Amino acid sequence: MHKSWMKRQSRLGYLFIGPNMIGVLLFFIIPAVYSFYLMFTDYKFMSPETNFVGLDNIRRMLNDDLFVVALRNTFVFLLAVPVSMGLAFIVAVALNKSVYWQKTLRALYFMPYITSGVAIAFVWMLLFQPTSGPINGFLRGIGITNPPGWLSTTEWSMYAIDIIWIWFMLGYNMIIYLAALQEIPEELVEAARIDGARPWQTIRQVIWPLVSPTTFLLLITGLIMTIKNFGIIQAITQGGPGNSTTVLSLFIYQNAFRYYEMGYAAAISWALFAIIMIFTVLQWLGQKRWVHY
Amino acid sequence: MESLTQIRRIILTLLMAGFALLMIMPFIWMISTSFKSPADVFTYPIQWIPSSLNWEHHIKVWSGADTFATYYLNSLKISLISTVGAVFLSAFAAYGFARIQFKGRETLFLIYLSMMMVPPQVLFVPKFLMFEWVGIYNTHWALILPGMFTIFGVFMLRQFFLSVPSEISEAAFIDGAGHLRIFFRLILPLAKPALATLAIIDFSWHWNDYENALVFLIDKDLYTVPLGLQNFILENNVDYNGMMAAATAGIIPMIIVFLVGQHYIIQGVAGSAVKG
Repeated sequence: MHKSWMKRQSRLGYLFIGPNMIGVLLFFIIPAVYSFYLMFTDYKFMSPETNFVGLDNIRRMLNDDLFVVALRNTFVFLLAVPVSMGLAFIVAVALNKSVYWQKTLRALYFMPYITSGVAIAFVWMLLFQPTSGPINGFLRGIGITNPPGWLSTTEWSMYAIDIIWIWFMLGYNMIIYLAALQEIPEELVEAARIDGARPWQTIRQVIWPLVSPTTFLLLITGLIMTIKNFGIIQAITQGGPGNSTTVLSLFIYQNAFRYYEMGYAAAISWALFAIIMIFTVLQWLGQKRWVHY
Repeated sequence: MESLTQIRRIILTLLMAGFALLMIMPFIWMISTSFKSPADVFTYPIQWIPSSLNWEHHIKVWSGADTFATYYLNSLKISLISTVGAVFLSAFAAYGFARIQFKGRETLFLIYLSMMMVPPQVLFVPKFLMFEWVGIYNTHWALILPGMFTIFGVFMLRQFFLSVPSEISEAAFIDGAGHLRIFFRLILPLAKPALATLAIIDFSWHWNDYENALVFLIDKDLYTVPLGLQNFILENNVDYNGMMAAATAGIIPMIIVFLVGQHYIIQGVAGSAVKG
């Protein structure tokens, strides 16, 4: 009887998961496997024949100067993550208890995160206008005679993207920090206050250590989220000027859908996967060390 | 003492409000520029309130051959169908993972987990080839069908279903109810807030999704809002007022969704990160 019950349970389990599993198989697993195969071919869109080329794509990638440029730009892009988190932490501490209009303020900070990346991309494009844009207008106003050319120069373009990304992610990071702050027992903060700790000391020595698991989690998930993103960059600069804003994820898109080098694109996309994998393993290890339930 | 903390609170509030204002400044500038005359776009100091309201830029965005009305309809169709499908299919699978013991459950769940690590770039090329082969490339189905399957949704709802006390379904089991009945009559009604959260977050993803539309759609009459916006800006790249009117059109729907479902969005975002 027990055995047949188990069988019935199994059948029911598959019935529940089945519909979703078909989609996951079709749109995730099969494409992933197929992409793995493409990595070892010279497949180009509409090409007469496709050959198995072994590790050629990977060799090509490692010798491709543009790949190195894209990798470096990706790391500059990733700088936005800790900066955004730092600002978000400050905002979250301030908004946690000690201000009025908490709900409204939270909503305002969160606003950029829910808006379309393409729309804000174009707004920032005009804000960053080098000669007459409002940002440089302001900078000149406070006495900076030679403000950066932002998106139009190779030196500054990636940092301009960073600024946009810091702004975009801030609300998200803040919400997660707020959730963590609300878990901190009132007594701990109260005890520190009674012991004569100043607000700044309380933040540094009580609150910051207590939210460290959240900091770690936000850092890793933020890095993963950022490394996958290319929409905002594609919309503003398409990787330019020069290749100064070509990040890895955009580089893959360009190879696949601009140059139709699909085998090569597949190889780079698995390199991207490898980086995400490293972050994920770090997160998994970190959870064991830092997250205490 | 009491009044001192109050003063401190007021100062901090003003400081944070000022910073918040800085955060939404790009939106304010966008809206105000969309009503300015071309000559006033870059006047400095910034003209926050336009000297006269010019509606012509908004009219341009909403009329003509490629109009935002079409993009809105396309986005609405894709986002709604995908979201309804995703919520329903995720709920079904999440119940299976959370509440039914069956062979291979852990392995399957691990496979789901690993698929979350795969960046979308890995999947673009194979999906492109697959869709072309099946004949849905450059149709809305190329966005709707994959959009109905969200691994995140399965995770989120599984977490919620796990938190529902098992006594509730045990009592129903004793009364002779099966899993299907428990799912539809007990768990789904209980999960309404979680379903709403997933629906709102999922809808906003579909509405803002630019990358998939960029890869899978070509024809202008199929464009979604983000693609339409890009198209408008490519074709009017010197008309800054028009650009900002178009950006406004692209952002307004999500702001409305956010104002209505703020509570759900914030709760869902907070919950999802804590659970990885």
